[in-house]
Amino acid sequence: MSPSSWWDPLARAALVAGAACLAGLLIGHVALAVALALAVMLARQLYMLAQVRQWLRSDRVDLAPDAGGAWGEAIGLIGRLFRRKQYHKRRMLQLLRELRSSTAAIADGVVMLNPAAEILWFNRAAARLLHLRGRTDIGLRVDNLVRRPEFVEYLRSGNYAVPVIVQAGGLSDQYLHFQIVPYGAGQLLLMVRDVTQQARLEEMRKDFVANASHELRSPLTVISGYLETLSQDESIAADLRGPIDAMRRQALRMTAIVHDLLELSRLEAEEAAPTGEPVDVGGLLARLRSDLLARLSETRDVQIVIDSSDRLLGVEAQLHSAFGNLLENAVKYTAADGTIAMRWWRDEHGGHLAVRDTGIGIAAAHIPRLTERFYRVDPGRSRASGGSGLGLAIVKHVLQRHGARLLIESEEGKGSTFSCHFLPARLVPPA
Amino acid sequence: MEAADFSHHTSRRFNEDLERVRTKVSAMGGFVEEQLSRALTALVAGDSAMGQSVATQDYKVNGMEVSIDEECSRILATRAPAAGDLRMIVATIKAITDLERIGDECEKIALIAARLATEERPEDHYREVKHIGRVAQGMVRDALDAFARLDADLAVRTARNDRIVDEEYESIQRQCITFMMEDPRMIRRALDVMWVVRSLERIGDHAKNVCEYVIYMVHGKDVRHRSLERVEQELKGQNTRE
Repeated sequence: MSPSSWWDPLARAALVAGAACLAGLLIGHVALAVALALAVMLARQLYMLAQVRQWLRSDRVDLAPDAGGAWGEAIGLIGRLFRRKQYHKRRMLQLLRELRSSTAAIADGVVMLNPAAEILWFNRAAARLLHLRGRTDIGLRVDNLVRRPEFVEYLRSGNYAVPVIVQAGGLSDQYLHFQIVPYGAGQLLLMVRDVTQQARLEEMRKDFVANASHELRSPLTVISGYLETLSQDESIAADLRGPIDAMRRQALRMTAIVHDLLELSRLEAEEAAPTGEPVDVGGLLARLRSDLLARLSETRDVQIVIDSSDRLLGVEAQLHSAFGNLLENAVKYTAADGTIAMRWWRDEHGGHLAVRDTGIGIAAAHIPRLTERFYRVDPGRSRASGGSGLGLAIVKHVLQRHGARLLIESEEGKGSTFSCHFLPARLVPPA
Repeated sequence: MEAADFSHHTSRRFNEDLERVRTKVSAMGGFVEEQLSRALTALVAGDSAMGQSVATQDYKVNGMEVSIDEECSRILATRAPAAGDLRMIVATIKAITDLERIGDECEKIALIAARLATEERPEDHYREVKHIGRVAQGMVRDALDAFARLDADLAVRTARNDRIVDEEYESIQRQCITFMMEDPRMIRRALDVMWVVRSLERIGDHAKNVCEYVIYMVHGKDVRHRSLERVEQELKGQNTRE
């Protein structure tokens, strides 16, 4: 409290008391006059207090009581405080409203859920995509209204890392993409997106690849068949032999590509992960090795180390193709005097299969993209070696189907190790 | 709507029990919806594998019914619910029976779909089946929505759709008879289609039953075997009185 604010009313009171004193001297009753004056002052103060109290109760700033002096100043200050608060409140409300309306307007559905998965709020897009209705659905559990089993499982799993894509049901073939993001104190933000278009495109792509490769197969068989015959025909002029041979080689390569494309689309079309049968990994590797050595003209150093007699639960044909592709790659990128070693072992993390070579290796920059279709580290080289460019994509898909991971370690000039890691649940101990 | 509010019970556990039952019914309903959708897709797309998978999944529906039934019996025995809560438990016990039957009909459709998939598919033959299928699907969805929202109005509107399903059924039946008379080789397939449509018609009936339980649950009125117009009028009268 600054001195002036204190002195001001005090001076006024003193003034009034002084005036009363003078008047008292005139009429001869000093004490009575002073007491009367002070009583009037007190009454005024009490009256002002009552006024202010009523004003503050009324909740209306604009109806401030009229007053001068200290009371007027105090009332003005209170009014200012009030107005400032209201201004902030208005701004916050406006901000909140803008936020809400922008969230309401975004094209993706947004639903806010409390920890019990009850709906707190949702935007227009969510209402449209999930058929939610205005106020009546607030407070209902979201899984009572959105009942697709995949979504319900996702919601209850508590593990929201991998979003789910759910066919919206009916014969409508609408696809919805659900993602849940936990926030605040156990609250959940559910985001819904209509991915029908993407799903349809993906479907079309798969169909196209599958159909195209299928349709290409029969003409290719005819072409390579005739080229085979022609290349063995003695009566063909010597200068045509070169071109015919080149054509035959390319036709074989094309056949390999079509074969791999078909295999990939078959893998993609398959629904869930196959449980499969227990596969004897040692036997599978031995067969791969002998097939490879029989096919190659020169001898190669291919070693097999089996440190576990556990069998692997899976689809043998797919595993054969995956491991075969890894071996094929190793041979392709390793010089004739290099060593290739395949090892199968298990530990507490599960079963592991590694294919190690002493070949040319891969630069680190290429490793993340190796499993993409038709990705080439060195286009000239791999094409000359006759690969389809799909080998590692097939490996990746097969491993995904088996819940396994592919790990690639490599050092340029020293060699590479491709290892497949299977979960313990996939292993069948020897009887 | 005094029944609509389950939120104030002295016992929080009781509340949780009721809520859990409701959620379980929704989960069961969702699974049945999925089964129906997949069965119809299997038929329309000629996907034999999908049909087989629907047929082998039906045991899950049965399992859910048993589990909910037990839960309801337990609540009846230990909590002795009254008024709205009692109606909810009673309605639930009845609704899951109908849901289970819908599941059975889905299984039938799926088995026929799996068989028909191996034969040549008709030009546009399944258009009618698709249509009646959509109506039946919509009824199941709306019935379950009404159950979740305790929305008697939606239940009445949905129950009224049963008539559309019945009319569709009649018309497809006549059409099939015509086909069979025109070409006796069609008889087998027409009979199969008839079975599918018959199943869909039954599904519509079951969905209507669920709607009636919702009305019972919300208003405490048994509206089975009564004309919908009268039910609607009575409900309206009740609403205005409130």
